Amino acid sequence: MIEVVDVSKRYGTASVLNHASFTIAEGQLTTILGPSGCGKSTMLRCLNRLERFEDGEIRVGDVVMNGTSAGASSRSAENDLMHRVRQRVGLVFQNFNLFPHLTALGNVIEAPITVKRLPRSQAEDIGRLYLNLVGLSGREHDYPARLSGGQQQRVAIARALAMEPDVVLFDEPTSALDPRLIGEVASLLRLLDELKKTLIVVTHDLDFAEAISDQVIYFEGGRAVESGSARAVFGQPSQAETRAFMNGFRSRQGTERP
Amino acid sequence: MRIARELSWLPASAGRLVIAVLVLTLAAADAAAQSALERVRASGRIRIGIDATYPPFGMAEGGEFKGFDVDIGRAIAAQLRVQPELINASFDGVFPALQSGNFDVVISAVTITPERSATLLFSDPYIATGQQVVVRSASTIAGPDDLAGRTVGVQINTTAQFSMEKRPGIAIAKYNTIDLALLDLQNGRVDAVASDGPVLRYMMRNSFPGLKAVGVEYTDEKFGVVLARGSDDLRRAVNAALWALQESGEHGRIYRKWFGDPATPSSAETTAAPFDPTIVARTWRLFLRGVWMTAAMAASSLILCLPLGLALALARVQANRLLSSPAAIYIEVMRGTPLLVQILFVYFVLPTVGVNLPAYASGILALTLNASAYVSETIRAGILSIDAGQMEAARALGMNYRQAMRRVILPQTFRRVVPPLTNEGIALLKDSSLVSVIGLTELARTGQELASRYAAPLTIWPLVALLYLALTFPLTRVAEYLERRWRPVTRA
Repeated sequence: MIEVVDVSKRYGTASVLNHASFTIAEGQLTTILGPSGCGKSTMLRCLNRLERFEDGEIRVGDVVMNGTSAGASSRSAENDLMHRVRQRVGLVFQNFNLFPHLTALGNVIEAPITVKRLPRSQAEDIGRLYLNLVGLSGREHDYPARLSGGQQQRVAIARALAMEPDVVLFDEPTSALDPRLIGEVASLLRLLDELKKTLIVVTHDLDFAEAISDQVIYFEGGRAVESGSARAVFGQPSQAETRAFMNGFRSRQGTERP
Repeated sequence: MRIARELSWLPASAGRLVIAVLVLTLAAADAAAQSALERVRASGRIRIGIDATYPPFGMAEGGEFKGFDVDIGRAIAAQLRVQPELINASFDGVFPALQSGNFDVVISAVTITPERSATLLFSDPYIATGQQVVVRSASTIAGPDDLAGRTVGVQINTTAQFSMEKRPGIAIAKYNTIDLALLDLQNGRVDAVASDGPVLRYMMRNSFPGLKAVGVEYTDEKFGVVLARGSDDLRRAVNAALWALQESGEHGRIYRKWFGDPATPSSAETTAAPFDPTIVARTWRLFLRGVWMTAAMAASSLILCLPLGLALALARVQANRLLSSPAAIYIEVMRGTPLLVQILFVYFVLPTVGVNLPAYASGILALTLNASAYVSETIRAGILSIDAGQMEAARALGMNYRQAMRRVILPQTFRRVVPPLTNEGIALLKDSSLVSVIGLTELARTGQELASRYAAPLTIWPLVALLYLALTFPLTRVAEYLERRWRPVTRA
């Protein structure tokens, strides 16, 4: 279970997260949906400690992260916290951030070798397993520059999975891809759902969210406005902001796709 | 005679300023608890500083010294019953080295002047000489008084230059070495060359046919053995030795060996034409030694400056000011001061605080310290050019900062900085020529010595250029290999 309790974050005077609170159940695919600039990507980055926050608390299983206003933690405590969070939570970046100097397999086995200290042969077995899972067997020795955008994303997913996290975060997984590939991403996410991982997907694409989600959190103005099952939120949104976003999105889609 | 001979690639004023600053620095540090003579007797050797690019007074081929000053120095050492140790140094460097105790005496065709006597000690004169004028054989110029309206070539910062400047209506062309002035006289760009009589006679006899000396020696100059202040007892011993050489006739024999009748040259000096390709065949061993010295200096400095530069770059990209600020200051100082000054500082000033390194180590140290500043900025630029997402991706996978740097950021950085680092390496290789100022006979210095020695700049300097090219070639090949090997990675 992931619990976000009253988290606030500011960049200077600009408030990015504004008393955000929600919970996410294990083994579910949850999307955090919202317009650009609503703080949803920052929220995601807080979940694996790429960002810190001033106030509130985040709990990922038994790992507890506190706001910085509660007092600065020592450097070693912070390093220890980051280490524990990242063992548990993987992240697939919006633009993948593959390591260009390593092959597909090299990307996937790098962290198991340097962080988990696995022997290379064992790491390679795990790497091949996950590359195979995402449909990239045969491309192990290609460098990222030789792979298409969709293939690069699959390497990035395999790389996150190879650390065997309980939670995998996806930051805008459709935005860097050709629209025709969105269906492939959706089926890939459903495949991962079967691994019983907790998946959290940040997106502003309503159709995509509707296609994949078990649970939905609607984010706006730096806080979770509404959350619930996909059926409830998409079918009967209870909050005015959610309805406005959905109506706006659908009418925009309507004009773009007559 | 010479006041200060500069490295040929330096502006004269910069070189002199450096010397002035160093001399002032060194004047503060007075070393000798032991007297100079006691030191010489106790060590059983006398260290003689000489700029051996000035035939027939001082010449060197690799480690072998020849010339009038060399023979005088050896004869003085024999009189003192100690071993002579000749140390080659640029004329720029001899006085600071004398002051800082690297030499006991300087015997290097130094004219006794009131200005120098204010800061240095001189022995009694060991040779009297004077300026003379040479012209092309067909010229109608008959002496120094016929030069009004003419162009006269001189060696830069010599008493010849100053005496010509006092005469009205003369256009003066200044050259770094006297052989270049004579070459231009042959080529017809100047009408006459004024310099020290014995030097001109030696040059004409060996390498410049078609020129003639006209008129008398029109100045009166005396050369003395130079000693550091406070070496009074050693000066008395040197004077006694010079007297003994006069008395025994030894001085006369040496004089005739070098300045005797040109028709019967008693010295076994070889003669050579300015464009003589056989010079290459005769000097290739010396060039090889120069190439080796340059390659060894540059390679050692390059190997040492890479880890140092990397450490500085890593320190400088830290958020922690305690790490980044010292690195930034170091880089600022090293990039903001001339390499020449750094070399002189390491060799001449560090000994005053107890760090006394041999010339070779000093050269490598100065080159390494200097190059590491440039290398670190290149590497830092490379690190900063790596997308911030790379560090985030590595950290998100659980790597700590060090692991992310070592496994993700730096491998990509190295691929990017190979071309600019190749530039640094080539620059370092060529900059290594500056270590000649502390007496190291590397490739450029070898060229300078041999160009003077054989009076054949047109044979020697193109050869020097070719050898530098040959040295840089392997560097660029390695760089090309690395770039080719990493191409699949860098291709987007």
